[in-house]
Amino acid sequence: MRALRAWFSRFAGLFARQRRDRELADEMESHVQMHIEDNLARGMTPAEARRQALIKLGGVEQTKETYRERRGIPFLETLLQDIRFAFRMLRKSPGFTAVAVLTLALGIGANTTVLSVVSSIILRKPPVRDPDGLLTITSKNPANVFAADRSHVSAADYLDWQEQATDFSGIAAADFDDFTISGEFAPEFVPGARVSANFFQVMEIQPTMGRPFLPGEDQPGKDHAVLLSTQLWKAKFAGDPHVLGQSIKINGNSYTIVGVMPEAFGVWDSPTQIWFPLVFSPDESGPGKRSFRFLRVFARLKPGIRMSEASAQMNTIAVRLAAAHPDTSKNWGASVMTERQYMTSDWNAERALFLLMMAVALVLLVACANVASMLLARNSGRAQEFSIRAVLGAGRLRLARQLLTECLLLSIAGGALGILFAYAGLRMILTQFNWNDTAATIATTIGIDSRVLLLTAAISFFVAIIVGIAPALRLSRRDPGERLKQATRGATAARQHHRLQRLLVVGQLSLSLILLTGAGLFVEDFVAETRAAPGLNPYNMLTASVSLRGLQYYGAPQHQSSFFQNALREIQESAQVESAALTSTLPFDGSDSAHFVVEGHPVSKPAEQPSSGCFVVSPGYFQTLQIPLLQGREFTPSDGPGAAPVVIVDAAFARRYFANQNPVGRHLLINSQQGAGSQWSEIVGVVGDVNEFRGEEKPQPHIFEPFLAHPTGTMSFVVRTRTEPTSFSDSLRHAVWAVDSAQAISDVKTMDRVIADSGQGDNIMAELMGCFALVALLMAATGIYGVLSYLVAQRTHEIGIRMALGAERRNVLALVMRNGGVLISIGVGAGALVSLTLPRAVGAVLSGFGVHQWGPLIAGTTLMVTLVALLACYIPARRAMRVDPMVALRHE
Amino acid sequence: MTDKASEKSNYKSSSKTGDKTDVQQGTLALMILRTLDSMGALHGYGIARRIEQTSGNLLSLNYGTLYPALLKLEQEGYIASEWGLSTNNRKAKYYKLTRAGRKQLEREAQEWEQTAAIVARFLSPAGERT
Repeated sequence: MRALRAWFSRFAGLFARQRRDRELADEMESHVQMHIEDNLARGMTPAEARRQALIKLGGVEQTKETYRERRGIPFLETLLQDIRFAFRMLRKSPGFTAVAVLTLALGIGANTTVLSVVSSIILRKPPVRDPDGLLTITSKNPANVFAADRSHVSAADYLDWQEQATDFSGIAAADFDDFTISGEFAPEFVPGARVSANFFQVMEIQPTMGRPFLPGEDQPGKDHAVLLSTQLWKAKFAGDPHVLGQSIKINGNSYTIVGVMPEAFGVWDSPTQIWFPLVFSPDESGPGKRSFRFLRVFARLKPGIRMSEASAQMNTIAVRLAAAHPDTSKNWGASVMTERQYMTSDWNAERALFLLMMAVALVLLVACANVASMLLARNSGRAQEFSIRAVLGAGRLRLARQLLTECLLLSIAGGALGILFAYAGLRMILTQFNWNDTAATIATTIGIDSRVLLLTAAISFFVAIIVGIAPALRLSRRDPGERLKQATRGATAARQHHRLQRLLVVGQLSLSLILLTGAGLFVEDFVAETRAAPGLNPYNMLTASVSLRGLQYYGAPQHQSSFFQNALREIQESAQVESAALTSTLPFDGSDSAHFVVEGHPVSKPAEQPSSGCFVVSPGYFQTLQIPLLQGREFTPSDGPGAAPVVIVDAAFARRYFANQNPVGRHLLINSQQGAGSQWSEIVGVVGDVNEFRGEEKPQPHIFEPFLAHPTGTMSFVVRTRTEPTSFSDSLRHAVWAVDSAQAISDVKTMDRVIADSGQGDNIMAELMGCFALVALLMAATGIYGVLSYLVAQRTHEIGIRMALGAERRNVLALVMRNGGVLISIGVGAGALVSLTLPRAVGAVLSGFGVHQWGPLIAGTTLMVTLVALLACYIPARRAMRVDPMVALRHE
Repeated sequence: MTDKASEKSNYKSSSKTGDKTDVQQGTLALMILRTLDSMGALHGYGIARRIEQTSGNLLSLNYGTLYPALLKLEQEGYIASEWGLSTNNRKAKYYKLTRAGRKQLEREAQEWEQTAAIVARFLSPAGERT
C-alpha cells in the first residue's frame, strides 16, 4: 500500500518539475540562512558562519540530484527525454521518416488485414453463452474416408441418445435446410433450421424479442411457431416492433412469429434466417430410417461431468445401438466434440489463410529488413553525433536505448497507419466474399476486433526490436574514439562495416523473389482457370433456380413437370429471350451422381458399379448453352414418359467407357438398384465437356437424362437473352410467378457470375498474393537502391580520387554495378533455389492446386526481380558516374 | 541508473574525524520520525540540529542528506509538509508526523529495539548466554 502511494506521488513528481525545483531551492536557502543565523549567534564572523553552514549542508547539487531522483521516476523521465529527442530526430529527416513509416505500415497493415480474416473465420466462437461448453455429437463411421467423425445423425439415433444418455443436461437437434417463405412479400428461398423445442435452451441463447420455443412445441399439431433472425425481421418486416403474433408461410404452411433472434446468431456457422419446431415425418423417423442421417445434434454437459466421461457413455450407447440395428447402424459410432472443434473443419480456405499468413509474414520481414538497413545507413551518417555523446559520457546502453526508442516511435506510427491500411484493405477484400451465401454471411462478421488490435500492437513492438537491434548492437560494439577519428578522416569506410547492410539486401531480394514466385503460382492458377475454355458460351446468359415447395407438388412429378414447362414457356415468350432451357444442376455448380452399368460390362456387385455426374436437362439445353453436340441428337419434346428411355453422355464419358467406339446406339442401365423397373437407356448423343467447377483438372464423365421423363422439384433455368442478361431478371421472376406466385426464385445471376463464383474466392487469393508480392518487390528495390545510394555517397571522395587518377566514367559505373551485381546474384540465386520447392509445397497444402508451367514461371519471376534490382542499382551507379572529381575532392 | 549508488553514498558522511559515527542506512528515517514525534512540527534545519543534539553530537550528519529522506517519508505518507514562518520570521517548510507516521514509528522503534536486544545478547559475556 505504502509503496503504491509512494509511486503515485513519484508519478505526480514527473510534472511541474520547475515549481518543485524552485521549492527545494527555497527550502535549502532557508535552511542555510537559519544555520548562518545560529552560527552568528554563536559569535562567528559572517563569512565563517556562511562557510560552516555550507560545509555542514554538504554538496548542494548532489543533494538536489538525489532529491530529484527520489522525486520522480528516473527511468520514465529518461524515456520521455528519449521520446522527445527521437521525435526531434525523426522530424529532422522527414523523408527517411516517411519512407520508414510507410514501409512498416505496409508490412504491419498486411498482417493486420490477414489476421482479422483469420481471427473472424478460424477463431470464431458460437455467439451463445459459454461458447466453449457447447458440444456437438456426431455419428461416426470409420469407413468414411472424408471426415469420418463428422456425419449427421438420424432421427432414431437422436431420440435413442436423448433417452439413454445421462451425462448431458440437454441434447438438442437441428435440421439445417433451405425453405421457401412467403407472406406479405415475394416468396423467397432462405436458409433455416427445424429445431427441437429445447434447442435454444441447450444453445443458452435468448431471443432479443419474444420467447424461445416452449416444451412440447415440437409435437405434431403444436408446432406452428417460428423465430426470425434479426436480418430477416429487418428485411421483411422493416423491424416492426409488433411483429410478434403475425404469421408467415414456410413451404406453404402458416406459422406464427413468436420471437426474433440476435443478429449474431443468424450468421453463425451457416447462415440461418428462420427457426421452427422440428417434427419428424414418417419419412425421417419411420422404421428403417435409421440410416437417414440429416440432423445436427448439440448438447451441454451436466455440471461436474467431464467430456471424456460423456464420450465414453456415448460410445457405449452407440455400440449397443449398432448391435441392435445391424442393418442400418453396423460400424456406426458416436463422437462427442466441442462445437468449436466441429467448426474447425479442414476446408481449403483455412489452408489458404495459412499460406496468406506466411506471405504477409514474409512481407513484414522484408519491410523490417528494409527499415533496418535504412537505419544502419542513417546511423552511419550519425556516427559523429553518437561518438560525441559517447565521449561526453553516455553509456552504450543509454545510446542503444535512444536508438530503440526511435525505432519504437517509427513502428508505433507504422502500426497506426497500418491499421488504417488494414481497414481499407479489408473493405476491398470483403466485397469479394460473394461467391455464395455462406461466404457473404461470413464476410459480415469479419472485422478488426480487439484481439487483432492487440496482436498488431505486439507486432509493432517486436518490429521495433527487430529493426532496432542490429543498429543498436553495432553502435555498442565500437569504440567511440576510433569512430570519431574515422568520421572526420572522410576515408572510405571499412569493408566489414557494410556487411550487415549487404546481408539485409540479399535477404530482401531472396525473400521477395520467393514471395513473387509464390504469388505467381496463384496468379498462374487463376489465369489458367479463367482462360480455360468453359465448354459453353456464357455470354448473355441468365440463370435462376426454383425449388418447388407446397403440398400440390409433394410426390407429384407430373405437377412438377408441368410447372417447369409452363414457366419455361412463359420465359420463352419474351422478345428479349433467344432461347431457354432447364437443368437440374447448373454447369460449374457441381452435380448429382448416378450409378450405372454399361451394356456389355456386367458388374456382379452393386457396390462395384461405376458412377458419374448426372444431370436432368430439358430439350434445347445444349443448344441454349451452346455446348457442342458431337454426335447423335439432342433431347426432343418426345423424349417424355412412356417413350423409349434415352440418355446423352459427354465426351469424357465416351472416352472413358467406350474407348474407341461410337457410343451412340449403345445402352446404359442407370441407378439400377433403386427401382426394379429400371430400363436400359439408349445413348442418343454425345456432347462436349463442361467442368463442374472452375479450375477442374480433368473433365469428369457425365450423363444427361431428359427432364420430361425424369421430372424433379428443383431445377435451374438457363436463359440466353438478346440484350444485357441482368435486365431480364425481373421479367424472369414475373414469368415464373405467373405460373405459381408462391414459389421462391433464388440465385438469379449471369452464367459468368456462376463460373466466377465456382472459383470460391480464388481470385481473392490471386489478387492478395500478387499484391503482397509486389509490395515486397518494391520494398526490396528501394532497399537495394537505398544501400547502394548510401555506399556511393560514402565513396564519393574515393570515386573522386579514382577519377582524378584517370578512371573512366564507365569504370566507375562498372565499379558500382559490380557491387550491386554481387548482392543481386547472391540474393536472387538463394531465392530461386527456395522457389523451386514452392510448387510442390503449395500443392501439398492446397488440394486441387495444380500448376504445370512452373519452370517458365520461376524463370520469369527471377528475371523480374533481377531487372528491378538492376534498375535500382543503375540509378545510384549513374550518380556515381557523374561525380565531378574536383567537387568530390573539395567535399572534405 | 546511478541513483541507487549515489543515494547510498549520500547517507554516509564525508567526515574524516573518525570519532563520530556515520548514520546507518535506514535509521535516518527512524530518527526523523522520532524527532517529529517529540518536537511536533519542525523544519529541515531544526530536525537536523535536533538529531545531532539527541545523539550527543556523536553522529556526523550531512544535513543535505536529510532532504531526500524527508521526501521519501512524505511520499510514503508518514509525514506532511507545509510552508510556515520560523521563530525568526523566516519562511521555512515545516514537517509534521501523520497518523500513519506515528504508527510506523511505533512499529520501527519496536523492531529496532528487538534487533538491538538480539545483537546485545550476542555481544554480552559468554556466561550470560545460557
